[in-house]
Amino acid sequence: MAIVNLKNVTYKYPLTDAPALSNINLEVKEGEFVAIIGPNGAGKSTLCYTLAGFIPHFFKGELEGKVEIAGVDLKSSALNEWVRNVGLAFQNPFNQISGAKYTVFEEIAFGLENQGVPRDEMNQRVEEALTMTGIRDLADRSPYSLSGGQQQRVALTSILVMQPKVLVLDEPTSQMDPIGTREVFGVIRQMAERGMTVVMAEHKIEWIAEFADRVVALKDGKILLQGSPSDVLTSRLLSENGFGISRYTSTAREALKHNLWPKHLHLPVTLQEAADGFGGKK
Amino acid sequence: MHERLSFYVKRDSFLHRLNPLTKLTLAFGLIFIAFFSPWYWAPQILFLLAIIPLSFLGKVHREYFSAAFRLILPAAGFLFLMQAFFQPIGAKAIFKFWFLDITPESLMFAFTNASRIFVMVSSFTILLLTTHPSDLMSDLTRRGLPSQFAYVIISTIQIIPQMQAKAQTIIAAQRSRGLDTQGSFLKRIGALVPLVGPLVFGSLVEVEERAIAIEARGFTSTRVKTSLREIPDTSFDKILRWFLILLIIAVIAARIWL
Repeated sequence: MAIVNLKNVTYKYPLTDAPALSNINLEVKEGEFVAIIGPNGAGKSTLCYTLAGFIPHFFKGELEGKVEIAGVDLKSSALNEWVRNVGLAFQNPFNQISGAKYTVFEEIAFGLENQGVPRDEMNQRVEEALTMTGIRDLADRSPYSLSGGQQQRVALTSILVMQPKVLVLDEPTSQMDPIGTREVFGVIRQMAERGMTVVMAEHKIEWIAEFADRVVALKDGKILLQGSPSDVLTSRLLSENGFGISRYTSTAREALKHNLWPKHLHLPVTLQEAADGFGGKK
Repeated sequence: MHERLSFYVKRDSFLHRLNPLTKLTLAFGLIFIAFFSPWYWAPQILFLLAIIPLSFLGKVHREYFSAAFRLILPAAGFLFLMQAFFQPIGAKAIFKFWFLDITPESLMFAFTNASRIFVMVSSFTILLLTTHPSDLMSDLTRRGLPSQFAYVIISTIQIIPQMQAKAQTIIAAQRSRGLDTQGSFLKRIGALVPLVGPLVFGSLVEVEERAIAIEARGFTSTRVKTSLREIPDTSFDKILRWFLILLIIAVIAARIWL
């Protein structure tokens, strides 16, 4: 039984004619890690806001079709109830800092305070979350004094600590260095293993290939194709539709023309796959 | 990076251990006595017998005196001069300058008012020096202050330095593209125009995102909120608050009947 259920979802922002999402059908199983890719303006953020309930409850506009998460219908649910099941972290880390707290520790506890979690449990959960995302040493700093990447980790931790059933992430690593990105993807993968459902809009294709269970490619508000990362990310449709593709894929595709890539192998997306393919040829 | 966003000085003292509401009541009690007491010397006596001892009791006397001399005293002094010159009371001038004159009555009036303001600002300074803003707000929220109200106050305090930093960034970006911000006064004023647009509109966009961010963390949840910070509220606090409230009532009564 899918925990996330989108049926024929079409959405128009207020005062616009063109739909930002049109006829989206998406099912996500519990504990699945789904990555959403697409060029700028494809509707990735809009889809994230829809899953997180801010469309239509915050942005208004016209939402058609059915959005159901954990058995609850979006239109009949209030936003402050909806966010208990679905956590959202988005791109700009600076604006995700509540502004009501003086230390990172308090910042992360903010959501738990709002939920009315008792103090002892709150302390324990914040400690655990800080350790998990590797920002234990930032606990006493002011959230405003941190770098962009550190702030993104704080924003992610602030949502993880609330233990939502579905975690929606809109480019959560955009300001992180490669090492930080890898760590954060690892943490998110770990959450999925523990049963948290993850939907993540992301550009970093090599990381998606390594960590995600399924990839959904969006273009002009429609689902262009979806499937396993190795199928979707190496599809010709991607480069034909202006998606960014992995340099390993394009190199191997070129190599294939000159018989330098083994025909029986799938085109590579990650460095490891590329190394295996080119190495095996010798 | 400089992380200090409030006046609060972290120390372990009698005042720091008091409940924030008790300290707030204390500050208001002092202000009430200074303003409404029928006794003429009340503000000066309060300064000597309450403000100074309290600053030592809170171990913030150094910070307090530095603020008192650099900020509160000049402001109160300015107020004293304005009122002494412009208050049109009393007939016999003891000092004349152009169309301004000082009479013994206006001098007394100015002295009393400046002293009252001095006590008022001082008692709040000591409150802010010994109370963390988060503690004050969580305690008031627990007692029924709407959390939206508390949020607006705390986030405003925090956002001012951020706005300043952003204004600096915008100016630097525009100067690097050739905007002239040096030169005559008028030219400098003119250079502010391209700053205002990005700063104001940028902030409006930020407000929307911040609203989403705090909503995603259940800010408008209807559950009873809890607080991470443990705020003491002893029976001594309660007795002290009742004593202060009785004192305020007594001052008002004395004002009416004496």
